[in-house]
Amino acid sequence: MNADRTFRQPGRWAVLAALVVLAVVMLFPFVIVTLNAFKSPAEYSSNGPLSLPHGFYLDGIIAFWDRVDFGLKLWNSLLISGVVAVAAVVLSVLNAYALGIGKVRGRLWILVLFLVANTLPQESLVYPLYYLSKEVGLYDSKLAVILIFTVIQAAFGTYLLSSVLGQFPRGILEAAEIDGASRWRMLWGIVVPISRPTLSVLLIFFFIWTWNEFFLPMVFLISNDNQTVPVALGVLQGEKMMDATMSSASALLGIVPAVAFFLIFQRTLTRGVTVGAIK
Amino acid sequence: MFRVGRSVVAALAAAALALTACGGSSSDSSGGSGGSAEGRTLTLWHYETGNSAMGTAWAQAMKDFEAGHPGVKVKFEEKGFEQIQKTAGMVLNSDQAPDIMEYNKGNATAGLLSKQGLLTDLTEEATKRGWDKLLSPSLQTTAKYDERGIMGSGKWFGVPNYGEYVMVYYNKDMFDKAGIKVPTTFDEFTAALDAFAKKGTTPIATAGAEYPAQQLFYLLALNKANRAWIDSFELYKGKVDFHGPEFTYAAQTISDWVKKGYIGKDSAGMKAEDMGVAFIGGKYPIMVSGSWWFGRMQQEIKDFEWGSFLWPGQFAPGSSGNIWVVPEKSENKDLAYDFIDITMKKEIQNLLGNSGGVPVAADPAAITDARNKELIENFNKLSTQDGLAFYPDWPAPGYYDVLVAGIQELINGSKKPEEVLDEIAQPYNDNLADIGN
Repeated sequence: MNADRTFRQPGRWAVLAALVVLAVVMLFPFVIVTLNAFKSPAEYSSNGPLSLPHGFYLDGIIAFWDRVDFGLKLWNSLLISGVVAVAAVVLSVLNAYALGIGKVRGRLWILVLFLVANTLPQESLVYPLYYLSKEVGLYDSKLAVILIFTVIQAAFGTYLLSSVLGQFPRGILEAAEIDGASRWRMLWGIVVPISRPTLSVLLIFFFIWTWNEFFLPMVFLISNDNQTVPVALGVLQGEKMMDATMSSASALLGIVPAVAFFLIFQRTLTRGVTVGAIK
Repeated sequence: MFRVGRSVVAALAAAALALTACGGSSSDSSGGSGGSAEGRTLTLWHYETGNSAMGTAWAQAMKDFEAGHPGVKVKFEEKGFEQIQKTAGMVLNSDQAPDIMEYNKGNATAGLLSKQGLLTDLTEEATKRGWDKLLSPSLQTTAKYDERGIMGSGKWFGVPNYGEYVMVYYNKDMFDKAGIKVPTTFDEFTAALDAFAKKGTTPIATAGAEYPAQQLFYLLALNKANRAWIDSFELYKGKVDFHGPEFTYAAQTISDWVKKGYIGKDSAGMKAEDMGVAFIGGKYPIMVSGSWWFGRMQQEIKDFEWGSFLWPGQFAPGSSGNIWVVPEKSENKDLAYDFIDITMKKEIQNLLGNSGGVPVAADPAAITDARNKELIENFNKLSTQDGLAFYPDWPAPGYYDVLVAGIQELINGSKKPEEVLDEIAQPYNDNLADIGN
């Protein structure tokens, strides 16, 4: 027993060391961004990106906020990501209920189709989507982006949830059926509450993925009043010039909401998991 | 009864007034969408930062425009370069097109859109309003595109407001300390490089991973070239021999300069930003790059004296800056023309010059800052000696990356100069075949 413990000790330290290295590697870019966000451009140019800022230079952040009307961009991003996350989860649940629990003919092929659709690069979708949205008058509207991303995210969600629900304990469903529950009732009364942890994870991922999307929002949200945060950050990348300090300031502003969202929901998520376990 | 009658008369009089007012304004407005100017909006997009020379001058132009057009509002939206670059074709083909926008000059950008019929032909306005007289022939190159979308001839589809050119920035303190004078000829220039290298300082800051190194390469080729060669290379007016004296000399010289220590070996992996930061940080005495750095140098160099001089030779990479274009779907073309006209006026051009930009039609006497004056006078000198030689990555789509790879191999020494020349000749000639030359 004792020998076993000493044998395991070095292994644990190695794992810990590896994790520390990994954490440093992961956090390093954030540290650099934060450092440079609070530097003046002259300070950046004369001392380089790795130096510590001399003072607390807030002008970069304030100037960027005013320049792109960041409050409005935040609201747009929040609205689009929020609606997409909720709608895509609902759509995924409905699809997966049919595919994973229901007995749809050829469901394997349907899932393969979803998976293939999921691997399509967005660049190849741009032109068809552009013509469609122009035809129905949705070009340059938030609704277009919401619809597109709801479908894109739901494709992944359907694929994932279908395999999760495929493992759903049949016994519970059969018991409910004997009790006379309708299919609708079974979905909302049994399947959804039990798979709530999975759904919350999907919700959080959909929100963050949609929040970080750059390419399609850039193409579809033409006027500045409709733009999202990542598109607004693109304003700073000039043809030949980049403003490193202001880019850092904007990057910091861009990351903070997504990180905050993740942290907040991470807690409710774990609470949800433990509640389910006690039951 | 009397009162009612009076009000009727008053109403009639008011209606008559309104009618004449309408008639007056519609006969005033010259063509365009007609109707009164009341309540119209000019939607304008550009992607220059607010505190840059262009941003400053254009903000003033918008104010002047609103003052000169009562009842018309300018709705300005600042865009990202990448957004305009990637989505312009789609936006201009929809109802969301702005009335006027800044767009990239060149065959692959403005040329392509003009070929697709998305831009308005500005030829008539250019001659009527005299823009063709304000701009020198080499500046007009980027304003005109033919039916294949190739610049240099054909109709006017854009109007440039500013110029840009590649020059030599130098650190005066480092020159003084080493006892080296500002070179005026190419021999003096290489002598200066040699003096720095002998003292153990790498003289030239450049960046192989982006545009600076290929512009240096092109500068060296230009020292052996004439206008006919440039027209052949850039505008496909003749055949270019990549193993001719021009490119052979350039490739050989870059390779020699690395060996002699004029260019650092590590510069192969550097980006333009690294180069600029290294120069601003006082690590190199010389940086060969474009006028787009000028404003930043002015704001950020605090620890030493600096200046700029023209590359010793007749030619240097340079051209007009980006251009104003009027989308074919613009609903306010007449207002867009008026706006372009305002940006070409002396006051706006002088403001552009005083803010650190290179105006195309300014009055040099009105430029107050000594360094700005030097910048503009050098540009005018280059422009009058027909020295603007455009950029090496213009001739073919994707040529930028071909050149980056080639010059990196040259600096690394991983390929011989002749091999590099073969490598960069191939995509160029493929493109010629594609466009049918």
